[in-house]
Amino acid sequence: MYHMCVVHSVSMTEANVLDQIIALLDSDDAETVNTSMRLPTTLRSAAALAVEHLGIAASTTTLTAAALRSSIETAVMEHALADHFDQYPAARPTVAEVAHALALQDGSPLAARPDVIERAAKDVLRRHRGATPDDVLLWAEAQQALSA
Amino acid sequence: MRTVILDNEAVQALSDATHAKHRVVLAHLVGIAGRRRRGDDVAAVVPTSVSAEAGWDRTDARSASINRLRIADRPLDQATANLAAAIIRRTGVSVADAHVGAAARGAVGDVVVLTSDPGDMVRVSSPTTITAVRI
Repeated sequence: MYHMCVVHSVSMTEANVLDQIIALLDSDDAETVNTSMRLPTTLRSAAALAVEHLGIAASTTTLTAAALRSSIETAVMEHALADHFDQYPAARPTVAEVAHALALQDGSPLAARPDVIERAAKDVLRRHRGATPDDVLLWAEAQQALSA
Repeated sequence: MRTVILDNEAVQALSDATHAKHRVVLAHLVGIAGRRRRGDDVAAVVPTSVSAEAGWDRTDARSASINRLRIADRPLDQATANLAAAIIRRTGVSVADAHVGAAARGAVGDVVVLTSDPGDMVRVSSPTTITAVRI
């Protein structure tokens, strides 16, 4: 019982933190702040060069803010999904199911072969436990090319 | 850059853990999160007319879970409303479906629509080429 209360409390805290982060990310407030965040000098120089010569952003400030926002948004999404799967374990898709979803999004011919994806997922995960859905798709495509 | 647009049924499936397609839509979102983690520029979006039709009220406490999935709103502003009106005139679809079409036409890069009706989504998005994924 104690354990359940602790788990619930931790989960609520994380949900509150996610909500606070989301509220901040979605805020229209354009106020800026001079941050005391310390960046390695070489990284800052690399960013300045990339902005000036590769045109990847309007400024190093824009580049830093966009990268930071994207990273935080991805982390929020991952944590929200993990929280949801903690709450509803049956809703967690398998690696093969996610790979199939990506094949559909990519318009890959593999989308029509969930059986091939399923088999590839089993093969890859047997060898590499941390394999990603994209690893599975790559493996399935390679296997199909070899057998063609 | 890829934009993944959710239609009415995709939102309903996502909102309800007991929905038959809940896990399918989550598989797409897990895939999107994984691609973002590796550095791909992928965004999941929902036209606000779709949210309204699907009953997704972001201020409702019951929406807390889905609100955290970083699915961005595509509002029905004046330009989008004009485009949606033209789509309705051309195809006779609902406002929500026309809004999906308008959002697809305004998106940059690849457009994927998660939908229960791929044929309609291709029609409303024309002449923009989309990948309509049946959920």
